[in-house]
Amino acid sequence: MYLDPRWFAVMLGSAAAFSALSPLVYARRFNFFAASLPHAALLAAALGYVAAALLGGSPAAWAVLLSLPPSLLLVLLLHKGVSEDSATSAFVAFTTSAGVAAVYYVLTSFPARVSLWSYILGDPLLAGWEDAALAVAVAALSIAASLLLLQKEVSIGLDSDFSSLSGIRVKLHDYALAALLTLVSVSLLRAVGFVVEHVALLLPAAISSRLARNTREFLALSVLPSLAAALLGLLLAVQLNLAPAAAYGFVLLAAYLISLLRGGGA
Amino acid sequence: MHEGRPSLRVEDLTFAYAGEEHVLEGENLEVEGAGLVTVLGPNGAGKTTFFKLILGLLKPLRGRVYLNGEDVTGDPARAGVHASFVPQLSAVRKDLPATGVEVVEWALRGYSGEERRRRALEILRSVGAEGFAGKRLSSMSGGQLQRVLIARALARDTPILVLDEPFSGVDPRGREELVELLSKLAESRMVLVSTHDPVLTLKRSRLVVVFNRGIRAVGTPDEVYELEMLRKAYGPGVLVIEKCLHVIG
Repeated sequence: MYLDPRWFAVMLGSAAAFSALSPLVYARRFNFFAASLPHAALLAAALGYVAAALLGGSPAAWAVLLSLPPSLLLVLLLHKGVSEDSATSAFVAFTTSAGVAAVYYVLTSFPARVSLWSYILGDPLLAGWEDAALAVAVAALSIAASLLLLQKEVSIGLDSDFSSLSGIRVKLHDYALAALLTLVSVSLLRAVGFVVEHVALLLPAAISSRLARNTREFLALSVLPSLAAALLGLLLAVQLNLAPAAAYGFVLLAAYLISLLRGGGA
Repeated sequence: MHEGRPSLRVEDLTFAYAGEEHVLEGENLEVEGAGLVTVLGPNGAGKTTFFKLILGLLKPLRGRVYLNGEDVTGDPARAGVHASFVPQLSAVRKDLPATGVEVVEWALRGYSGEERRRRALEILRSVGAEGFAGKRLSSMSGGQLQRVLIARALARDTPILVLDEPFSGVDPRGREELVELLSKLAESRMVLVSTHDPVLTLKRSRLVVVFNRGIRAVGTPDEVYELEMLRKAYGPGVLVIEKCLHVIG
């Protein structure tokens, strides 16, 4: 069985990045945002190709740049008093419609140069050294951000009124978290894929919130099972000729089901 | 430790949620000095809204709020310098894996490492929470969680402490113990407590504010604990039975 170190770098890097942010998503009840984010990331990836073709530059850089305004607009709508359901519905309606239009345009206009399949299904096995370096760098950023923010995000999640009185700028944290999640999602979309990205962001904290006894364990028990799932998923995928992102998702789901059997926590 | 004589002044306070009737209209209140102040009113009277206005968490349509002489209207960070808050138990998420010690540590300023942990445990001990402070919040009873939240508020070391319905979700024995604790805390602070139960804090209160969609009466317990006064907040459900006042329904 041939195993390329780049596959490990991309899979483990992506798993670490998403699972480090997962407790922040859980603490702030940003699940609605995390669940709708892959739609925005797919749109940004497609628009990135269009912008790069028309204006030059890197498609990935354009994708990151173009992904931020819709996400920040969603947070702004929530701050203006629009209900979470309405704002998310509008966000998903826009990003999915625009995403399909953009993907269709890219596939019909640049068929020889672009494969958007990897953005939908995720394909770490096609990763080059550049992708591997990106995954590791994004993982480092996510872990650093989580270590820096977790205590405050859990504080806000527990009781935002007390946090405001303590001088924490809750609205600023909303924007920062939305920007961070968007950045990481767009950067790693190709590795994990549009579909499994939901799982990678949401399940790790669902597992750790049940098992952790304190906030430090909340992060550790989110990242470690996710890394193990990515490793096992990759090996299973290569051995059984499965989609790696799907195998990762299944192993993570199995870990969640085991955490349910263990009970405790929330 | 905080210095000076705590004060609260509310001027012409008017507030309504979007598209709804006014919860407060042109309300005025002035309280000075340490002691227990009970804000008494039935459920749905707007006591939480009143507290959130005092703490700058909501912006009034009109009027100003001053804490220790400083204008804190609609500015929670500024209000937080003077006042700390214990919310209703139902407003606190218990599914997050945080322990009592952690939440108190996070509220402390100017401490780090071991010193921070030691100070947090000291505060938890002062409210009788040291025995369960290492547990997750989700594993605590209502009374235990309430003590941890009081410890968290005390960690801010402010001269004013605001507690929203601290007796809800706490068993009868726990309520008695909480009243004792609040009375002790009120010796050196202004402690504002909202409750829908007129009996719990009455004997210990320096001042009682009868509240129902606005301030209906303010006075000492003896002045306020009268049939007509309580009826201003609770309506005709207040009855005199065997020379005792009872709130029915």
